[in-house]
Amino acid sequence: MAPAADAAKYASDPGVVILALKWGAPVAVVAACVGYLIYSASGGTAEYYLTVSELRHHAQTGDVRVAGVVQDDVHRTDGGLHVTFTEKDASAAIPVEYTGTLPDIFRPGITVVVEGRLGADGVFHARTLLAKCPSRFATQPYTS
Amino acid sequence: MPVALRDPALHELILGFLGAGALLAGLVLGGFSALLSFWAGWRNSAVFVQIGRRAFYAATAMTVLAAIVLETALLSHDFSLAYVAEHTDLSTPIALVAAAFYGGQEGSLLYWTLILGLLGSASLIASTALGGRVAAYAAGILASILAFFLFVLAVVASPFDLLSVTPPDGLGLNPILRDGGMLIHPPVVLAGFAAFAIPFAFASAALLAGRSDAEWIRHTRRFALVAWSLQSTGLLLGMWWAYHVLGWGGYWGWDPVENVALMPWLATTAYLHSSQVQEKRGRLRAWNLGLVMLAFLLVVFGTFIVRSGVVPSVHTFAISAIGPWFLGFLFACMVFSAVLLATRARAGASVARRPADPVSREGAFVLQNVLLVGVVAVVFWGTVLPLVSGMLGLERVVGAPYYERAAGPLLAALLALLAVGPLLPWRRAGLPTLRALRWPAGTAAVVLVVLAVAGVRSPAVLLGIPLAAAAAATVFTEYGRALLSKPRSVLVRRRRYGAYLAHLGMLVVAVGIAASQGGQQEKDVTLAPGEQVTVAGYTLTYTGSGQRQFGDHDELIAAMRFGDRTLEPSRAVYAGLGGQALTHVAITTTPLADVYVVLAGMSEDGRASFRVFVNPLVTWIWAGGAVIILGVVLGNVGERAMDAELARRRIPITLPA
Repeated sequence: MAPAADAAKYASDPGVVILALKWGAPVAVVAACVGYLIYSASGGTAEYYLTVSELRHHAQTGDVRVAGVVQDDVHRTDGGLHVTFTEKDASAAIPVEYTGTLPDIFRPGITVVVEGRLGADGVFHARTLLAKCPSRFATQPYTS
Repeated sequence: MPVALRDPALHELILGFLGAGALLAGLVLGGFSALLSFWAGWRNSAVFVQIGRRAFYAATAMTVLAAIVLETALLSHDFSLAYVAEHTDLSTPIALVAAAFYGGQEGSLLYWTLILGLLGSASLIASTALGGRVAAYAAGILASILAFFLFVLAVVASPFDLLSVTPPDGLGLNPILRDGGMLIHPPVVLAGFAAFAIPFAFASAALLAGRSDAEWIRHTRRFALVAWSLQSTGLLLGMWWAYHVLGWGGYWGWDPVENVALMPWLATTAYLHSSQVQEKRGRLRAWNLGLVMLAFLLVVFGTFIVRSGVVPSVHTFAISAIGPWFLGFLFACMVFSAVLLATRARAGASVARRPADPVSREGAFVLQNVLLVGVVAVVFWGTVLPLVSGMLGLERVVGAPYYERAAGPLLAALLALLAVGPLLPWRRAGLPTLRALRWPAGTAAVVLVVLAVAGVRSPAVLLGIPLAAAAAATVFTEYGRALLSKPRSVLVRRRRYGAYLAHLGMLVVAVGIAASQGGQQEKDVTLAPGEQVTVAGYTLTYTGSGQRQFGDHDELIAAMRFGDRTLEPSRAVYAGLGGQALTHVAITTTPLADVYVVLAGMSEDGRASFRVFVNPLVTWIWAGGAVIILGVVLGNVGERAMDAELARRRIPITLPA
């Protein structure tokens, strides 16, 4: 049998319209639902990922994530569960306050990403704190 | 010059050069194999097929040699190689020194290439029955992929780069990788990634040769199943490892590294289901080919974004120059796949039979596919959003809430489909089907009422567990029906019943995920010795602290009494790595939940701070994973009955070229 002829016959068949309605329409509806879910969820939950100076220049109302380097003024209280420190990038600095378990590699000099919001007191209240190490799978390479 | 050869410095140089030479030879052989095999496919020349294939085996042999050289260099602490010096030191336990083979960027690429060569060779040996042209094109595509990896290894990211001065000791493996999980998770997940190339090669070859008959389906499905099983195991081991090692109380963080491992798995899950529509009904050919190609493209895409550092991730590899090469490779693969699908796939689209009703087994498979591809889209968007938004303005990122809100409803719909789909007949579903649905529907209702009465209010639990129970009822109905009427059919049609077992495992996993996502409780406390803390009804007593010394680290241990058990969360400090600290979580499992304790810190006066989690039913995830793999293995080992069935159903043998 010649599939090309089949295809021609099939294309002229009114069944194609029924096929499109019966199968195409439900698939399109499900695909539209998926699109809506992605749109609404990312609109509702996406957070800005900023450097300290960007945070200074763009006033944000919602939660944001801010990346910067931990300075030497780390102060731990409450058995290490509460910590305050200054986070800084090339041109701006901000005081950060965080309660919770700290990453193992947390210490002055590492880059951290804090998630939370800037309070009216000018202090960044972090909900989560992640250490952003240049490489998790390798230690510092030898520099030649 | 026997004296000079015994000189250790020269010996080490020889190892480095031997490894680099093996990679170059492999690259040449791989390229040669690709050219010959494509030529053989085009001219349909049996002789060139043979030569091309043997060149592929030879390239694989060179990769094996390179792997042996690297492993020898690691085990003999040959610090003249930069890779050895950067990933091991003299104090690292020997098993982990061996595991450093795949612990870094270059080595993991070599390991990947090794698995690609070995699995590719196996698939080529097994593909002789496919006939000259498909096998030839498949060999050509596999050889091209192999040659690309060997090129990257030989030229861009070589594990055999030599240091100008040999250091007395290496830098050591990152402490977080110094764990038993390191011995099993990375090799399995990397092998899974490598394995996706094989179904891709056979799908593309079928399109190039204009064939997609029963033999081809069987072959592609078998290797898709291998890749899928490896990836399932790798994902579960990764979750298990993260849960036991990282100490944040969870097992899945929606990090880009995790996402890119999940996406090809989802696409292949879709393929393994929709390929049945092609087997049984001769439909969805182009779609199936597209899914196989999508899985491979997602692997290449994932490798690109994870290893080039273009998206923020907590576990980025060392930044290296391989990013642009993988981007180019991704682009080439996308163009190749798109052109093939656009020009060749339509040839198979002519089916004169009357289309089936949407409410049918076919419809269930299509819906499942659309939902799974939808989950891929959700994960993909979440992964690339930082990249896309960064190009348009300020960078934006999404976290777990995004994935829960966007993928959660889709996953719930998939669970519901697991309950309904297997009960729907092919072609169209009538009233008898509705009657068959009474068991799963009844089970879901009962479980929902029980949970609600028990005071559960979490939507994830109230939705997930009743649906999983309904799907389990479906599986048991199917098993029950078979065992009551024809008990032997469970063995004869083992692929079907193995798949139901895998469904059951998946449901157990789903219950574990729903319960632990919806029911996790946590508490931060600082305790003096003798004080107690109660979380979700589980009481722990802090009894005291101590210190222990190990070869490469010291440990500060806090003991907690829980019933008649003692939990010992600790913090390890690695002196050799500038005092890097590492948390050792203590976990104990009760029938309903894991009690998970992290030592956050300790003060001079003996008080210790803890973070305590109670994670309901997490062990179900690991147990369910084992059941999934058991189902896949039991359903497919020695599975012969299918050949006869395919022959009987007479899937069209050839497609017009």
